[in-house]
Amino acid sequence: MAIVGKFGLSEADLRKRDQARQQGSTLYRGWLLGATAIALGIIVLILGTILVRGIPALSWQFLSQPPTDGMTGGGIWPQIRGSLVLMGGTFAVVLPVGVLGGVYLAEYAGNGRWVRLVRGAVTSLAGTPAIIYGLFGFAVFVISMKLGISVLAGWLTLATFALPVIVLNTENAIKLVPESLTEAAYALGLSRCQTLYRVVLPHALPGIVTGVVLSSGRAAGEATPILLTAGIYYRSGAAPTGMEMLRKGTENLPYHLAEGYRQGGKIPEKTIWGTCLVLMLLVLVINFAAILIRARARQKQIA
Amino acid sequence: MIETATSTPVVIGVRGLNVFYGEKQALKNISAEIHEKKVTTLIGPSGCGKSTFLRTLNRMNDRIEGIRIEGDIQIAGEDPYAKGADLLALRRRVGMVFQKPNPFPMTIYENVAMGPKMHYGLRGKQLDEVVEEALREAALWDEVKDDFRKKNGLNLSGGQQQRLCIARMLAVRPEIILMDEPCSALDPISTAKVEELIGQLSGAHTLLVVTHNLQQAERISDYTAFFMFGELVEHGHSKAIFTDPVHRSTQDYVSGRFG
Repeated sequence: MAIVGKFGLSEADLRKRDQARQQGSTLYRGWLLGATAIALGIIVLILGTILVRGIPALSWQFLSQPPTDGMTGGGIWPQIRGSLVLMGGTFAVVLPVGVLGGVYLAEYAGNGRWVRLVRGAVTSLAGTPAIIYGLFGFAVFVISMKLGISVLAGWLTLATFALPVIVLNTENAIKLVPESLTEAAYALGLSRCQTLYRVVLPHALPGIVTGVVLSSGRAAGEATPILLTAGIYYRSGAAPTGMEMLRKGTENLPYHLAEGYRQGGKIPEKTIWGTCLVLMLLVLVINFAAILIRARARQKQIA
Repeated sequence: MIETATSTPVVIGVRGLNVFYGEKQALKNISAEIHEKKVTTLIGPSGCGKSTFLRTLNRMNDRIEGIRIEGDIQIAGEDPYAKGADLLALRRRVGMVFQKPNPFPMTIYENVAMGPKMHYGLRGKQLDEVVEEALREAALWDEVKDDFRKKNGLNLSGGQQQRLCIARMLAVRPEIILMDEPCSALDPISTAKVEELIGQLSGAHTLLVVTHNLQQAERISDYTAFFMFGELVEHGHSKAIFTDPVHRSTQDYVSGRFG
């Protein structure tokens, strides 16, 4: 039963419609291409600018020496070291707390009214601006807990900043573990804890670790959480060592950038772009590490 | 009502079992006796409650929200739903194989070793022994003996994966084996292998097998239970069910008139 001829449809009508539909596809493809080009263009522009302006500043001296001449000369080694210290500590705090919190939400909390409320709160926290964390960290860790402007306060503030994302990411990674695996473990007579640690967590681990690494890296690139809690721009005298280091603030890359800019002209532009490039490379290296970890873990699972 | 042969000892006894998923009643007043070391197949149209019945026996339904289970179940003289019943011991005694093969994403060895390691704390040589024995019983040993310590279970074919799951289950040494459509995701050759396995296991184990394949039910089972709309319509010797059923609906179903 042909439909042509019915409902007033003619062969010519169909041809016309076909043509219009084909053209629609071409047009749509053009839009997609355009949007992609814009997004890519912005990335290329940013990377290009930073590379072109930053590379001239790079040198072994720049990476390994402290600033000299009232911050206008020398290198940025203390800033790099400070950023690494902040990142490492944040990672160490956030790994157990965030992961265990995510595991609890995914496996034990259920879906009651309070749990939904907590989950909603965590989601909103994940979207809260970094400066709020900075103020929170200042009020709670620096003032109330009397930690002062210190690496310790910075760790805690950055950890607070990174935690919501890590908790949510962990919860999602666990919920992505196929139900058939969990069932297999239970049917085999594994306890809840054994099921979690022997079957569920190993399967979810690549996703969990990637999330932890990425968010600690991201946190360490943020200037505002440490603005009021850990950052120092200029240090007179030698840097403290050992435990003393944790009680004092630290130079770090994002803060150096923000302050450097504010000093308006005193610092050579080249130095600022160089710092910019180093910070970007640092974050890129971390992201790359996360991708490697995930790829290796996946491979091990299916090898 | 319900036909039961009394020639062999009964290992599972069910009386007045009702299962509800929220408002919906999935099983209605089921009473049945399952004979020891025999194969019983559960047949019936989709949604008739046969899988629910199976999963009620090893309490895999516990995880479903809003489920309500009433009635009396005895497995080897114990009530799995009694207060303080040991869930892990129940599953040590009652193994299960699923419709879709679900090996863990780890090596073949680790898959089979998981049960005996967790239940009995076996390790080293003893564990190796149990793993090899289970792989042999599941007729998988010859195919994997060269690389079972290295090869991931997920890299086996579908049929091999299902036999791996059977080996994993056997390594715990269960007395009762529940199989929920164990062949429905397998090709005919793999299906034949699993059916052969069921025959070999039946001497030492009690097997309950859900299947949609009526020829399979007739081939592999000593007893057959026919479920429809959540009721156990007829239960007896497979020969009788397939050749001379008492109920009209059983007759219609086994002769392929519906379902």
